[in-house]
Amino acid sequence: MLEYSLLAGILFGLYFGLVALGLNLIFGVMKIVNLAHGDFLMLGGYGAYIVFTDFHVNPLITLLVEIVIFVLIGFPLYYLLVPRLQASRDPEMLSLILFFGLSQVIEALATLRFGSSERSIPGTVLGDGPISLFQQTFPVAWVVSGAISLLAVGAIYIYLYRTRIGQLTRAVMAQREEALSTGIDVQRISAIAFGIGIAGAAVAGVLSPFMMGSITPSMGVGITITSFAVIVIGSLGNPLGTVAGGIIYGVALMFMQTYFSSWANLLPYLLLIAILLVKPTGLFGRRMRNA
Amino acid sequence: MRRLAVRPAPKRLIPMLVILVAVVAAFAAAPRVYSNQLLLFNTIVYLVLAQGLNIIYGFTGYLPFGYVGFFGAGAYGFSLAVLHWHTPPLAALALGTLVAIILALILTPLLRLSGAYFAVANLAASEAVLQIVSNPNLTDFTKGPYGISLEKIYNPTLSYGAAVVTLAFTLAIVVYLKSSRFGLALQAIREDPISAGMAGVNVVRGRVLAWLMSALVAGLIGGIFAWYVSVFYPETVFDLSVSIFAIVFALFGGTATLVGPILGVLILYGIYNVIGISTPAYFQLIYGLLIVLLILFLPNGIVSLIDRGTRRVP
Amino acid sequence: MVRRTLAAFLIGAFVALGVCGTSARAAQAPPTIKIGTLYASAGSFAAISMPVHKALLLWEEQVNAQGGIYVKAYGKKIPIKIIAYDDQSSTSTAATLYNQLITQDKVDILVSDSGSVLTSVAVPIAREHQMLLFDQTGTGMNFFTSDNRYIVLLSDPISNLWPKNVAEFLVKDGPKLGIKRVAMLYSTNDFTGSQATGFRDFLKGSSIDVVYDHGVPTNTSSYTVLIQTIKALNPDAVIELGYPNNDISFLRDLQGSGTKFKMVFTVYPGLETDLLLKTVGEKGLAYTYTYTPPTVIKYKPDYGMDLDTFKAAWIKKYKDTTDFGFNAVAGYVTALVLEKTLATSESMDQMALRKAVFGLSGKLRTLDGTFMLRGDGAQIGELTPLGQIVPSGNGEVKFVILYPPEAANGKAVYPAP
Repeated sequence: MLEYSLLAGILFGLYFGLVALGLNLIFGVMKIVNLAHGDFLMLGGYGAYIVFTDFHVNPLITLLVEIVIFVLIGFPLYYLLVPRLQASRDPEMLSLILFFGLSQVIEALATLRFGSSERSIPGTVLGDGPISLFQQTFPVAWVVSGAISLLAVGAIYIYLYRTRIGQLTRAVMAQREEALSTGIDVQRISAIAFGIGIAGAAVAGVLSPFMMGSITPSMGVGITITSFAVIVIGSLGNPLGTVAGGIIYGVALMFMQTYFSSWANLLPYLLLIAILLVKPTGLFGRRMRNA
Repeated sequence: MRRLAVRPAPKRLIPMLVILVAVVAAFAAAPRVYSNQLLLFNTIVYLVLAQGLNIIYGFTGYLPFGYVGFFGAGAYGFSLAVLHWHTPPLAALALGTLVAIILALILTPLLRLSGAYFAVANLAASEAVLQIVSNPNLTDFTKGPYGISLEKIYNPTLSYGAAVVTLAFTLAIVVYLKSSRFGLALQAIREDPISAGMAGVNVVRGRVLAWLMSALVAGLIGGIFAWYVSVFYPETVFDLSVSIFAIVFALFGGTATLVGPILGVLILYGIYNVIGISTPAYFQLIYGLLIVLLILFLPNGIVSLIDRGTRRVP
Repeated sequence: MVRRTLAAFLIGAFVALGVCGTSARAAQAPPTIKIGTLYASAGSFAAISMPVHKALLLWEEQVNAQGGIYVKAYGKKIPIKIIAYDDQSSTSTAATLYNQLITQDKVDILVSDSGSVLTSVAVPIAREHQMLLFDQTGTGMNFFTSDNRYIVLLSDPISNLWPKNVAEFLVKDGPKLGIKRVAMLYSTNDFTGSQATGFRDFLKGSSIDVVYDHGVPTNTSSYTVLIQTIKALNPDAVIELGYPNNDISFLRDLQGSGTKFKMVFTVYPGLETDLLLKTVGEKGLAYTYTYTPPTVIKYKPDYGMDLDTFKAAWIKKYKDTTDFGFNAVAGYVTALVLEKTLATSESMDQMALRKAVFGLSGKLRTLDGTFMLRGDGAQIGELTPLGQIVPSGNGEVKFVILYPPEAANGKAVYPAP
């Protein structure tokens, strides 16, 4: 049972690392909190659902198309919202409100279009039967999602550390003011990061019918809060720490489910608070951001 | 400006007291002319919460995203005192408030965090309290997920009166902060904690006191809310949207002022109810759009329109 | 002089107006019967609220097309008008809006939103304003007390009664089938938590051992590890009580992890069959046990449309935006009870309405079964039998009714293949 919970926690946690990845990238680069993160995820999920039910397209193909679409949506949305926000007195806090409003708009539109009932895609679409991993069997969706999460994190890593634009992005993350003064086009870098951030949410969204059983237009808020827990445990502003945060979250949740099921939701929050108090930058943060 | 920072001018006190009396008197009299008392009551609840949030965010810069945790703690403290020990409502209100203050004391270490870290940690704390209160293993004590029913002490008239008194009390705290050296010290801490510390301001004590005051008013109004509605579930009093509403209202009006949060609540909560009652089909859509537009075009709140940078709004 | 004349004139005018007002009220029927209600288009209760509300709207459209409903208090047919606000699953907004319906819109009839949480705040408000609360599906046990005369539960039995048939099946038929060890997993909210309590109570003193009895938070979306834990205890039957999202995740994870239990009971395959078929699929539902839906029993209603007619009307109006299921039926049952109440109530006074609703108890038979009220207003009729889903091979499913014996039309396939 112990081994099973541990392995399940790692797989589940990898997925939650992916869920939270985009939120963290956006916070890292822009210091704004995208409260509509879960709603972009939800849209990604409905995209996969619609394309599958109407055209029988495998969600893994939809996933690739959605990356492009969401990056393209992210661009204008960034220029529409963020620069204005950053001109205000306290952008970090105001972003919470602005994106809460956006989240309401997205949820309302999704409800008008998709209705409020649960929707899902048959689990067998990703492959038949459970998969054996270290003598334990897991749903095929968990293994596929875990693998895609690793791929996505790898892609973000290559982007940040092996491309020119990624270097600039890291420069903006480290010191926004300095980056501005050295002539980096901070707005463009941020817009790209914003696009990638919500595309990350959409990728996780495509897998969400399999990992969470079903999707509804109102699922966003809960996902955003969980993502918060994950990125704070990992470290706010460090996208790669997110994966570690996800795994800690996943393993903790699965152990709680096994041994104290009704308290399962309490642990992530306590973990979050405890980690913040011991090490305010998260387990894998480098810079102190303490008052 | 410099002189003002040392000794607040007493003439700023008069307009603030006039506003305080006018608002309280209006809400005390309103049920006689308008019969949807719950709408009035909820408006008072948000006025208190927005001002309570103003105390901590406006004067110290900490944005507690889980502010509703104190509201819920007050509601449950009140209800459990009534259910288990048959405490009379007013005494139970004191106990509920005490529970909220104790929760704030437990959470004091969070003040070491800043910015989004504090906001998120506080949100987590509020969710954690909800998980504990609604856990079925504690049903004998908290009623778990099955909720609270207080029909024996249900008294909308008296609890409405208590809410009006709480409103007066909360506004008075803000008036005090706006006109006292303590309030100015807090604002100095918000602008630059290091210089304020060097100038002899006790930074830690100032923040903790503001934190406890804001928890106090939330706990008090939470208890009164429990008394007024009398049947509720844990999700009702730990509803994240209560925090978000209070924050949106306070920010929209303008923080660190007395009138800002009042205007914010009256206008935005007013609009909220007007949309909800007139065009329910697009309720969420219109309200969401409104929030987005307000933040984009009026990021520093309504008072920034009156104020024009002078920072002299009461 | 002028002033005195004016005063006299004014007084006269007021008196005249007053007389007109009162006499008009006594003699004339209102142009419409105002029915006030709430719905949640967004948030966590949207999925259970919208079908109930849409059923009411469908009813409004139908009856008004025929010139309204017969109102005995006025002795004629009057059109109805549903005044509905969106509470967006927020209880504090709901409280304001309930009050709005009573104090500003002055509705004749107050109907609550669906589900216990959004109904809860209406209970004291209705009582305070002496309005009878027509509670649709708010089944919380707390709402019903002997001293509150202002609530009646229409469309669902009170939560702790729900598991009666499944529990009795286990107690009576379980030993014959070799069922001794039962595992129960429930979501920790009022609705399913109360069912768990009821289930435990019904099993008390029997030979059935509950070897696993745990709650999980209602937003649980992953059951794989829980299923492994339960599997390790090797139970003969597994009872999972959840909201739709829980049941969907549970059944999908069961299938995904390749785990087979000898008996699995869940709540929603029977209540929202179409929804579960779409999300879980025929294979995932095969041989599971559930509350048998009215679709299967096909009660012959004495009053209102039968199930097939209602379903056809529903699909014609809503197509696939809102799935047809138990909640749609629940909304329609509310409508039928309202219709029948107005047709029998001597006056529009709230206590007269209450008397009329209680007069229907045990007599009204709708597509949802027999309507029966306990003295405190709780619904104790409309109890669904235990059924088992068997695959029919064409993407649809078939239900076999197992318990109570007088309703049964087949034998349990145990253990599930």
